[in-house]
Amino acid sequence: MELTLNINGRDHRLSLDPRTTLLDALRDHLGLTGSKKGCDQGQCGACTVHVDGRRILACLTLAAAVQGRPVATVEGLAHGDKLHPMQAAFVEHDAFQCGYCTPGQLMSAVACVHEGHAHDRAAIREHMSGNLCRCGAYPKIVDAIEDAAPKMERG
Amino acid sequence: MADDAGRLYGKPEVRIDGAAKVTGQARYASDEPVANPAYAYLVTSAISRGHITGMDLAAAEAVPGLLDILTHETVGKEAKPPVGPDQKPTTTTLETTQVWHDGQIIAVVVADSFEAAREAAHRVVVHYAPETPSATFDSPGAEAEVRKTDEQHKDPAKGDAPAAFAAAPVKIDARYETPTQHHNPLELFTTTCVWDGPKLTIYEPTQTMYGLKAAVAKQLGMEPADVRTISRYVGGAFGSKGAATSRTVWIAIAARRLKRAVKLVPTRDQAFTIATYRAETRHHLQLAANRDGKLQALIHEGWEVTSRPSSYNVSGTETTARMYACPNIATKVNVVHADRNTPGFMRAPPDTPYMFALESGMDELAHELGMDPIELRRINDTQTDPVDGKPFSSRSLMKCFDAAAAKFGWAKRDPKPGAMRDGDWLVGYGCATSCYPSNIGPAAARLSLTPRGKAVIQLAGHEIGTGAYTTVAITVAGGLGLKVTDIQVFMGDSNLPPVPVAGGSNNAASTAHVAAKACEEIRQKLALAAVQNNAGIFAGADPSKLRLTDGALAGPDGRREPLETAVGRVAGGALEVHVENVPEGLPPDAAAGLYQGKMAMSRGTGRKDVTAYAFGAQFVEVRIHALTREIRTPRIVSAFASGTIVNPLTAYSQYMGGAIWGVSSALHEATEIDLREARYVNDNLADYLVPVNADIDHLDVIFVPEEDSRVNPLGIKGIGEIGIVGMNAAVANAVFHATGKRIRKLPIRIEHLL
Ligand code: FES
Ligand code: FES
Repeated sequence: MELTLNINGRDHRLSLDPRTTLLDALRDHLGLTGSKKGCDQGQCGACTVHVDGRRILACLTLAAAVQGRPVATVEGLAHGDKLHPMQAAFVEHDAFQCGYCTPGQLMSAVACVHEGHAHDRAAIREHMSGNLCRCGAYPKIVDAIEDAAPKMERG
Repeated sequence: MADDAGRLYGKPEVRIDGAAKVTGQARYASDEPVANPAYAYLVTSAISRGHITGMDLAAAEAVPGLLDILTHETVGKEAKPPVGPDQKPTTTTLETTQVWHDGQIIAVVVADSFEAAREAAHRVVVHYAPETPSATFDSPGAEAEVRKTDEQHKDPAKGDAPAAFAAAPVKIDARYETPTQHHNPLELFTTTCVWDGPKLTIYEPTQTMYGLKAAVAKQLGMEPADVRTISRYVGGAFGSKGAATSRTVWIAIAARRLKRAVKLVPTRDQAFTIATYRAETRHHLQLAANRDGKLQALIHEGWEVTSRPSSYNVSGTETTARMYACPNIATKVNVVHADRNTPGFMRAPPDTPYMFALESGMDELAHELGMDPIELRRINDTQTDPVDGKPFSSRSLMKCFDAAAAKFGWAKRDPKPGAMRDGDWLVGYGCATSCYPSNIGPAAARLSLTPRGKAVIQLAGHEIGTGAYTTVAITVAGGLGLKVTDIQVFMGDSNLPPVPVAGGSNNAASTAHVAAKACEEIRQKLALAAVQNNAGIFAGADPSKLRLTDGALAGPDGRREPLETAVGRVAGGALEVHVENVPEGLPPDAAAGLYQGKMAMSRGTGRKDVTAYAFGAQFVEVRIHALTREIRTPRIVSAFASGTIVNPLTAYSQYMGGAIWGVSSALHEATEIDLREARYVNDNLADYLVPVNADIDHLDVIFVPEEDSRVNPLGIKGIGEIGIVGMNAAVANAVFHATGKRIRKLPIRIEHLL
């Protein structure tokens, strides 16, 4: 089927099998491989992106279902060479090892702040628990979010 | 001057690939762009033992977009059988009609789209002649054999352990079990193959660039020079990507048949059966001591499950026999063949399960003796390998215990089990010894330096999350007197000079030493040219006294020649060296073997001069709810002494990740097996439990300073594996302290504490 996806503020016209997930559309059809496939069944969070500003799992979302709705991926976080405060905090705190969960963690972390869930460590831990990190970077992910949250609010 | 390579060691450096990882630009194997790929989907066996009698492909072939179906009939003879992680025979896939285990690859469906390939794969109808499978220990038909000794595996022994055990006044005699576990790196086991005439390029996440290349070349009967592997970033490995697996050759053959790139992204449940895992183990441990706590006998027998054709085993008695001073030691290992896929390396493969037994046993012995468990370790601490009498290159075990105990507040522990309580929560403190042998292998690298003070180092290294790009850059910056940001590092491509498999915690040491040697070679060339140049400021000086520092060649008197001049004298564009480093104790041909994917390794336990291990101490507080028996771990403190720490920032992450794996291996992780069908039941990330963010609260890692000039010239012991070791026992010991219940079988779950 023919469809138009709005990714990081740009429209993309695509011809896709109707069964194509948003994750596969991004990765295999648009070359946006930042979003990762860790399970393809909604269990790991590696594919987390924003649709209408809210975090969703791209592997459980059909591409056709998000036509006409703004989709934001990890590729859209930075402004040119300037990292988003959350990205900078992840680097600074070493909030990852292999980096495979990181795009999903970042999209969840930004959403976690926007949702107002970043006010203390326990809340952050709870609201970041949909994103597995097999490398076990959790305490540093919490550090990074605590650090970035006020910077995001200052804009 | 080689010491200069270590100039920047010990200072935290953010990862040079950090920006790539947080922007989505880091390319993992399945992210690599290839032109017009076809998509592969695996068909895996629905039985665990027997034969395929036929396949009905008509429905699959009718799916629009279908391109090809590879089966034993169409391609089975095009590849030689694979080898297992031990380089010996293992289970096969499409070569014959034989089914060795559940989930074995039996066909590969290729189509224009992922969706079509998946649909067609589900339409393949397979007819089987099934036989009754054996699932694990005690299953009818499982075959046990005593593991024979060879170069890889010995059975450490000394004295008369049974007699000493019988005679000693205090003893424990206990059996322990650890479960099947799967690595579950977050990245799936992907493979993309592209042919260019006779040349094959494989994009696949791997811990062994040259090992994978050699294995595929051998299976396909190709020249290794015609096979290139690319794996610039690996999305978690933990051993699962440490050896070639069966899938790769079939994707290569599929791409060759279609004359088109073929991309495979297998499913999560397939990850449980197309790669390796940590096999379940059993242990019989007997410890005996005098009343003062001095060990008199240690007898450790292990059992490990493997597949039918493979005898892969981990034999952690090599480690448990060496932990404590003990005059009488006996060890033995058995393997049990079942209808399962072949196991393989998983984080600290021998030490994680075997140290669970020993460190639980030490806690039990301390309890029998009425002694503090730390004191029992202190009384039996030794600077000499108890098995063969060699000195440890360094051993800071008790320093680790003391540092961790102080931070943890061990002094507040009431030794009586069940005595500590906080409201509805039973509180338990537990500790255990951690260790991992220090290994180093040969390695090669190409290093170039420009007159503008920029360096490029190239080596077929592996970034599996350890921060390898950054540790290499830190070494080169130190060696050449530059800033870390002046260094570019290329890895993850078998067209670059080889380094060993990124496993067994050897890579930091192996790559640092070759990088340091390359820097020294550049320094020597520049120094020699400088002293021979009559017009230069260093004319006639002693070249060995010239150093590279702060972007210049500097003399002992403080005179400096900018790199522009020093490098410009010998090269217009860049001065380049290609070096190979063979660590002491390895044969000179070890470097040549490296290019063929053969991995010679100087191991911590096989050396002539010393026994080399890193040591640590694991402490954990558990809280068990008095009514529901919910188990929490609010505090973790780990202390490690691993010689030189190259980058404390990434080292902390590795230790921390290891400690979390340790807690996970005690409380969360187990692959459940359907005993009748010999099938993994919880083969997904929701049912195979791993910790989430909310499971991990306070965690402290302590770096205990340690200088070790004997382990290797730069004093680097590996750190990737040690973090997990002993933590499972520390948790079980804490559970005992909280409840008085000794749990000898992992993982510990609510139902075991009712
Ligand atoms: S890939 Fe979407 S949740 Fe795992
Ligand atoms: S950094 Fe490897 S999975 Fe999170």
